[in-house]
Amino acid sequence: MNSHDGMSRAQVAVLYLVLTTAIASGIAIYSSASTVTALFKTATTGLFLPLLLSLIVSFLLDPVVQFFESKKINRTLSIFIVYLLLSSLIFILLLIVGPPNWKGMIQALKADFPRYIGHAIEYLNGLLAVLHEHFPIVKNYDIAERLRVASQSIFGSIIKETPRSALRIGSLLLLVPLFSFFFLRDSRRIMRGVISLTPNRYFEMVLDIYAHVSWQLSNFIRGRILEALIIGLVVWLGLSFTDIPYAPILAIVAGATNLVPYIGPIIGMIPGLVIALVDLGMGGQFWWILCVYLLIAQIILDNFILIPILISKVSNLHPLWVILAIIMGGKLYGVMGMIIGVPIASIINIIILEIRQYRRNFNPYNRYFTSRGQLR
Amino acid sequence: MNPFWDNIFHSGRYKQSLPYFLSTIPIFKKLDKRELAFLENIVHVRNYETDEIIFSTGDIGSGMYAIRSGQVQIYSRDDQGNETTQALLETGDFFGEVALTASRPRCASARTTEPTVLVGLFRSDVQEAIRRHPAPLAKIMFGLNRVISDRLLQCSLQLEKLKAQSPETQINE
Repeated sequence: MNSHDGMSRAQVAVLYLVLTTAIASGIAIYSSASTVTALFKTATTGLFLPLLLSLIVSFLLDPVVQFFESKKINRTLSIFIVYLLLSSLIFILLLIVGPPNWKGMIQALKADFPRYIGHAIEYLNGLLAVLHEHFPIVKNYDIAERLRVASQSIFGSIIKETPRSALRIGSLLLLVPLFSFFFLRDSRRIMRGVISLTPNRYFEMVLDIYAHVSWQLSNFIRGRILEALIIGLVVWLGLSFTDIPYAPILAIVAGATNLVPYIGPIIGMIPGLVIALVDLGMGGQFWWILCVYLLIAQIILDNFILIPILISKVSNLHPLWVILAIIMGGKLYGVMGMIIGVPIASIINIIILEIRQYRRNFNPYNRYFTSRGQLR
Repeated sequence: MNPFWDNIFHSGRYKQSLPYFLSTIPIFKKLDKRELAFLENIVHVRNYETDEIIFSTGDIGSGMYAIRSGQVQIYSRDDQGNETTQALLETGDFFGEVALTASRPRCASARTTEPTVLVGLFRSDVQEAIRRHPAPLAKIMFGLNRVISDRLLQCSLQLEKLKAQSPETQINE
């Protein structure tokens, strides 16, 4: 090649080589990265729930462990003591009350479910007919049929999942105590290790913010879980005065949905009311059940007693965020995600609020100094 | 002590350990070995380069530091930006202890003058540890109180002395 051609043959070859290697390595990195993330995903699929549950358990048990620790027992031993106490408590409860007949109940529910849905759809059809009479513009939109199909598919999947979920519950029973043991024992050490990575200049600030956030968070999580437990127990008690079947399942539904503010309690109420309507009719018992759900559990217990005591105002989320969190959680993890989406959103909210408050309160130039830098 | 026995019982090794170092600081003087081992778990060991700022005036303090090794300069800066050194602290000295109980702004700045290892005890850790181990923390708080009371006493004595030295200011006021 001529020298005035711009590039010699060797240069072109080098350029070609460099470009090829760059593209090849780019593709390789991209594909390996995507396989790595895929591998990571498959490796962690089943871990989310046990990790979350064991975090919750360790948050709940931490005060009890601290109580034993203040009696000069070392931490590992006090965790064992707490475990022993808890398991014996559960055992004694099972001995006294007797284990509820879950399997029979689920089988009965499987048989009864179409009946409940049928009645609910009949009722809805009646409502629709009334609607059509008053607003003929509304097209004959087959809401009932859609509802039937959707609910049957949901219930069918629940039934199909039951044997698998039994297996999962078994692994949870093994994993959750194990994980929470290590969380309880070593969380402080782990967090100290993480915090000690911060640079010297920001170390004090990070340590203070961490202390605030973890205090708020543990209060919030503890409060929410206790609230759900108490609501579930009260609903169970209230329902067991009536002849309604499946009281324990309904109580669990009520407690779990209570974790979602605004919308949760209403959703949790619906199955109980439907079953009451179908099986017991519109009698005094139905009104008592409505009373239990609405007046006793929600208004008196939750609003006037539990929320003021257990949950601070800090964690109040705007309803818009609640709805967004429910939708996003549902997209990510299904029904489970809908329930835990809002608490996770509130946790993020608490973290942001605490950091902001720290920065406001502890900004020295507001509180202790004038704008000219003089001490107030 | 006899170096032979010294070698056998490794007392030298203990003297280099963090609990021993902590026991030399006046605030932690009254703690026994077990409590010192506990204290070791709630302090943070931080490494600083030469000329690194530890905190500056007006920062919200969140704890105290003891110097494990190295040197720390405590200084303040006036309106014109002139620095005045207030103290040069060496190994075994401690500073910032007023911030341990209350989040007040630091009234001076601190900076290292050589590579320094500091042992920090912070309020949030103390608050958290009080719930679990009240007894050793009470001892630490007592020690802190003792140190601060001593300083207050010295301060008021010096104030008395200054007042006695300049009686005319008293009359003017």
